[in-house]
Amino acid sequence: MTSKTKATVDYTRRHLRFGWWSLLGFLSLGFVLELLHGFKAGLYLDVSNETRRLMWTLAHAHGALLGLIHILYALCLRQVAGMDARNQSPVSWALIGASILLPGGFFAGGVQFYDGDPGLGIVLVPVGAACLVIGVFLVARAVGSAAPGTGRAGTSPRR
Amino acid sequence: MTRQRRTPQSTGAERARAAPGGFRAAPAVAMLVTSTALGVAAFVSLEPSVPERDVTERPIQVEGDGYVSSTACQACHPAEYESWYGSYHRTMTQVATPETVRADFDGVQVANAHGRPMALERDGEEFWAEFDDPGWEGPPADRPRIRRQVVMITGSHHQNIYWYATGHDRGLNVLPGVYLLEEQQWAERSAVVLHPPGQSLAMLDGHWNAICIVCHTTQGKTAFDTPYRSEPFDQQTVDTTVAEFGIACESCHGPAQAHVEANRSPLRRYGLHVSGDGDPSIVLPTRLDPQRSSQVCGQCHSVWEFYDQQGERVANAAGLPYRPGDELRDTRFIAQPSVDRTSPEMVAFLENDPDFVRGSFWPDGMIRVSGREYNGLIDSPCFRDATDPDRTLSCFSCHTMHKDPRDGRTVATWADTHQVSTDMDGNEACLQCHEPIRADVSAHTRHGVGSSGSSCYNCHMPYTSYGLLKTIRSHTISSPTATETAELGRPNACNLCHLDKTLGWTADRLQDWYATPVPALGDDDRTVAASLLWLLKGDAGLRALAAQSMGWAPAQATSGTSWMVPHLGEALDDPYEAVRFIAAASLRTLPASATLQFDFAGPRQSRIDAAVGLLRAWRASSSARARRDPELLVDENGELRLDAMRRLREGRDQRPLFLRE
Repeated sequence: MTSKTKATVDYTRRHLRFGWWSLLGFLSLGFVLELLHGFKAGLYLDVSNETRRLMWTLAHAHGALLGLIHILYALCLRQVAGMDARNQSPVSWALIGASILLPGGFFAGGVQFYDGDPGLGIVLVPVGAACLVIGVFLVARAVGSAAPGTGRAGTSPRR
Repeated sequence: MTRQRRTPQSTGAERARAAPGGFRAAPAVAMLVTSTALGVAAFVSLEPSVPERDVTERPIQVEGDGYVSSTACQACHPAEYESWYGSYHRTMTQVATPETVRADFDGVQVANAHGRPMALERDGEEFWAEFDDPGWEGPPADRPRIRRQVVMITGSHHQNIYWYATGHDRGLNVLPGVYLLEEQQWAERSAVVLHPPGQSLAMLDGHWNAICIVCHTTQGKTAFDTPYRSEPFDQQTVDTTVAEFGIACESCHGPAQAHVEANRSPLRRYGLHVSGDGDPSIVLPTRLDPQRSSQVCGQCHSVWEFYDQQGERVANAAGLPYRPGDELRDTRFIAQPSVDRTSPEMVAFLENDPDFVRGSFWPDGMIRVSGREYNGLIDSPCFRDATDPDRTLSCFSCHTMHKDPRDGRTVATWADTHQVSTDMDGNEACLQCHEPIRADVSAHTRHGVGSSGSSCYNCHMPYTSYGLLKTIRSHTISSPTATETAELGRPNACNLCHLDKTLGWTADRLQDWYATPVPALGDDDRTVAASLLWLLKGDAGLRALAAQSMGWAPAQATSGTSWMVPHLGEALDDPYEAVRFIAAASLRTLPASATLQFDFAGPRQSRIDAAVGLLRAWRASSSARARRDPELLVDENGELRLDAMRRLREGRDQRPLFLRE
């Protein structure tokens, strides 16, 4: 019981920490993109760099939203009774993989690109998307199979 | 007793908890219904647009034959699309809309319109004109008025030429007035081309459908049921269609449907990206050899004709058979009188139009009109005599159809400077091949470093072509000689800048510097500035070139300007409207006549009054008459040598000239 509780707390803390730092990182990227807009930087705004603008915008949006998903996941771990913390390892790694590969792929795809096609970094995106789908599926299944009621996982009172 | 009873006063939250699942979804359903209603309302409130297929009174755009239009290119090639979109190629042909019509149609009366004034009117999104029926063949006094809707526009750089729906199928005809964009002025159709005064212009019913369409649209199909002009226009069936109005992507890259479909596969695209191989599903003109790549431009920028009527009929039904990358001469005859005057096609050309050569070429076959630069290229030694493809001149040696992303110019500036490539607006254009000259350009040019005389362009591509009420550089790369002027009548580059010097002076300099043979020269060639001989004795085309050169800043800096006023003033009364237009434009570049008010198409007396006014002002100014060179037809007292001017004018080449720009 002790080890189970400890593991749950670790995942919660891990994803809260990852989520908030991730949010900070990708919101900062958004700030940088706004600066590029503000100073009319050609490397970002020229029509010839339209692919880069799209890729970096997608990197910012996906990174920030995935940060929120980490926080939400951590809150679920804390609040949804019956989510078995011992089975969260695949979910955790899938979500972390998605958070690195999806925005990272978009960002890399905008660094070097081919006209209307992003650079080769874009190959990371479908891998990241698969991680995200798997992670979300596992979370959805875990929430669906959890016992009704609220409270910390494994510790919430049962009727 | 502790059990609560549900009452009508129970709270919403309680109701929600108590209600079945469907009721709890009510807010979401309400939002869905609201957003759907808003979407439908927005769609319904859109301006109704007529599908292109339902347009009946003008040519229409249709997809087919593998053509997919520029909209299919935009997503994958945004930068190329942007620079093409900003180019005048795109806007060469446009449907008349409030966004594309540049002239004011709101209750405007246009005086110069080949008859009684043309009345323009705007009705919502539509543009209408009322004018004298150009097709009337009865007594002029009975000429009826017609009112027609303007539906199409040719040109967006210098002129808007407006086409109206004839009411017969998709046939178009041209308004009697043309709108000059820079001057914001209407002019008669005959006034904007170098055309003999008083000679009526051809009737242009169906002209757009049969002629303009070929180069001003992408994959145009004339679709006349019988050959154009083989019977009265209103008895022919005309179902003209194009793949796209204007010169669009597929004009130069070929039909793109196969390319679009093949590249839906990301594996294919990235395979090509990584390997760096060219995509065989589309033509990239810059990857063709210099001959074939230049032919892509030459499909329009040349003087050509079908080999026979069968070729014309095939193109009439299916569009021109030429595709980028093909050998252009396989499907059409390119007129090149510099080397061919006897081929059956050329003989037919000349039988059909005896003035054909004179109207488009100098006597030696060098092209003299704008828009036919491919003819100039193929006569240039840098193209004609080159053996190394890497050192062969092509259109792409100097021009680019898509602005380089590293080019700091705006798209508009790039388009306004003839789409010249980065750094190709100077000597680099020539030095990229003629490397040995780079070390000491002055030793080659005999002019100061950085001066206009050390510009390769100024000596080897002088302004000897005419079109659109201005001169353009010759695209036949050549070296200046006095012979070309003395024997062919073509201005040489030296005297186009040294306007105050005689041809004899030029001949002597060229002989001293380059051992260029001196031709037999007449007395006038030795005693009168060459520019004045052109202006006084030359044909209308030559007079236009001379008048324009007097407004050219490098020539003004070299030759001074004060002496030009009376001579340009006299050109204000030239019989040719185009010459008058150019002379007035040049006068406005001179300090003494910068504020000249002059209507080049106005009554003759007003033109004479303007010329006399300029002459009086010139005579009243001692500084203006400071130059007392006999070559400039000014005597030692600062008076014009009117007798000499009269004599030279009496020797003018009066042959009617129509330059087929």
